[in-house]
Amino acid sequence: MKVLCCLDGTNSEQISIAVKNMLPANQLTLGLIYVIDSGPHGELERQRERFLRPPALNPQRSQQMQNAETSTAQDILQEGARYLPGAERIQKTGRPEREIVNFAQEWKADLIVIFPRSPRSGGPTIGPKSVGHVARFVLDHAPCPVLLVRQTQ
Amino acid sequence: MFLIFPLPALARTLLITCIAIMTLVGIMIRPFKLDEARIALAGAALLLIAGLIPPLDALTTLLQDWNIFLFFLGMMALSALADAAGLFDWLAVQAARLAGGSARRLFFNVFILGSLISMILSNDATALILTPIVYTLVTRLRLPALPFLFACTFIADTASFLLPVSNPINIIVLSTFKLDLWTFLRLLFIPALVVISINMLVFFLLYRRKLRDQFDIKRLTPATEAIRHRAYFRYTCSVLLLVAVAYIVASAAQFPLSIVALAGAALLLIGALRWKQSTVKDISGHISWSIFGFIAGMFIVVRAIEDTHLTAQFGQLLLSLSGGHSFGAVMIGTAGATIGTNLINNVPMAVVLTSALHSTQHAALSTRLGFIAATIFGCDLGPNLTTVGSLATVLWLLILRRRNIEVSGLDYFKVGIIVTPVMLAAGALTIWLLLR
Repeated sequence: MKVLCCLDGTNSEQISIAVKNMLPANQLTLGLIYVIDSGPHGELERQRERFLRPPALNPQRSQQMQNAETSTAQDILQEGARYLPGAERIQKTGRPEREIVNFAQEWKADLIVIFPRSPRSGGPTIGPKSVGHVARFVLDHAPCPVLLVRQTQ
Repeated sequence: MFLIFPLPALARTLLITCIAIMTLVGIMIRPFKLDEARIALAGAALLLIAGLIPPLDALTTLLQDWNIFLFFLGMMALSALADAAGLFDWLAVQAARLAGGSARRLFFNVFILGSLISMILSNDATALILTPIVYTLVTRLRLPALPFLFACTFIADTASFLLPVSNPINIIVLSTFKLDLWTFLRLLFIPALVVISINMLVFFLLYRRKLRDQFDIKRLTPATEAIRHRAYFRYTCSVLLLVAVAYIVASAAQFPLSIVALAGAALLLIGALRWKQSTVKDISGHISWSIFGFIAGMFIVVRAIEDTHLTAQFGQLLLSLSGGHSFGAVMIGTAGATIGTNLINNVPMAVVLTSALHSTQHAALSTRLGFIAATIFGCDLGPNLTTVGSLATVLWLLILRRRNIEVSGLDYFKVGIIVTPVMLAAGALTIWLLLR
């Protein structure tokens, strides 16, 4: 069974517990995906246009941002791999919800494991609106079953 | 053309008005993704070719406003050279260190840092240089980026009327209406503190849950890594301190601020060349030359409208709407500046309003001061209402959203529409109270 685990930098441990409780490790092919959200780049470009500047940042600054994003993504994936050894690590850049769905299709995932919303998003963890826009999009568009793992304190 | 074959006054007024409206609408909707500078220059060129403004008048207008052009140049060069020293990166790391692992304290520190940078190096530096640095910092610290990006974007404008140099818009208005430093500070410094406090308070309430985490201070890069060359860094700090003092002295003495900005930039450039930290070509690459075309084009278009007395009538309309009282002047001025700023851009709006306010010369002093302060206040703070640029951009984003395309620019708009009216109302009321 191919299980795609969606990491957000806070949920590696709880996702790993959920996956391990569900099926024995020898029946699982695991993938850990972390998506670098390209949204903030768009915001920065819009900001530059508002100040009548060309949208692209200077290459040095752009590289600095990219380095920070990549090293953080690698850290998060490495952390995930400590909890789920042997899992394939996938790093993507784009809109997280779309990248997850597209990759699940491409990778032929049998199950997507995701938090309803990142604890950092500040939204409610239970009740109305407890499913954030990334998980909502994945639920609506995923090509396979989706397991929502609620954050426990 | 019409210089040779003179037109009747009415036809001339109509033609100028049509060209001016086309230019402003063009800036608002930017057809074929044309940049604003080309549109403004095209409007000016059309007026010149048609002979609707004599070339000598256009040239005189531009030469009269040399202080504004040179201030833009000095301001952009100063920020670029300070950035080359790694000053902003260093300050951001210090802000994170002082936060001691608390996301909320870091959020507060970003507000304070943004305010200080806007105050001395203008809102451009905060919005365009500090924002990507803060994004890099919070990405490394694994904190949610959006609240911090919003904080930088908003505080850039919210803190941009602490001093005359905090926003080039202030220089545009003050080039025509020579307010002394004391009057500027009396009318705008306390309102700035009021709106900064409101901005921080509302943002803390909005993002309190997102910011409850602690961050691991070990993820921070050492502050020394931000410094590219120790001697140049120290030199930059000294020059900027000197520039900050010189700005205040020059504002008090009504000495052109562009000279101070350019002198500061020249001193930094000498240092950068001496320690091989930057080159003239590098710095020139960081300067947006199209801004000069945009301002020049707008100045010429507005000068042509002035000849038709339309701006004077607009000024009279504002005066009559205000009822001739300082309260009305502040409220109408703020509302007009805010709406115009969000429809087009704050630079053309400031130019139009400055021209219109000429006709309020016979009003009471408190009313005139109310209009001037409100113009600065509305044009500086107004962009926070839509933040994503202008109402045209917001409408476009709404259309995209309706087509099921996720656009986070709308998140900015939602925050702007909540916090900005409160700030505008509180700030305008404070200005009015200070006018009495």
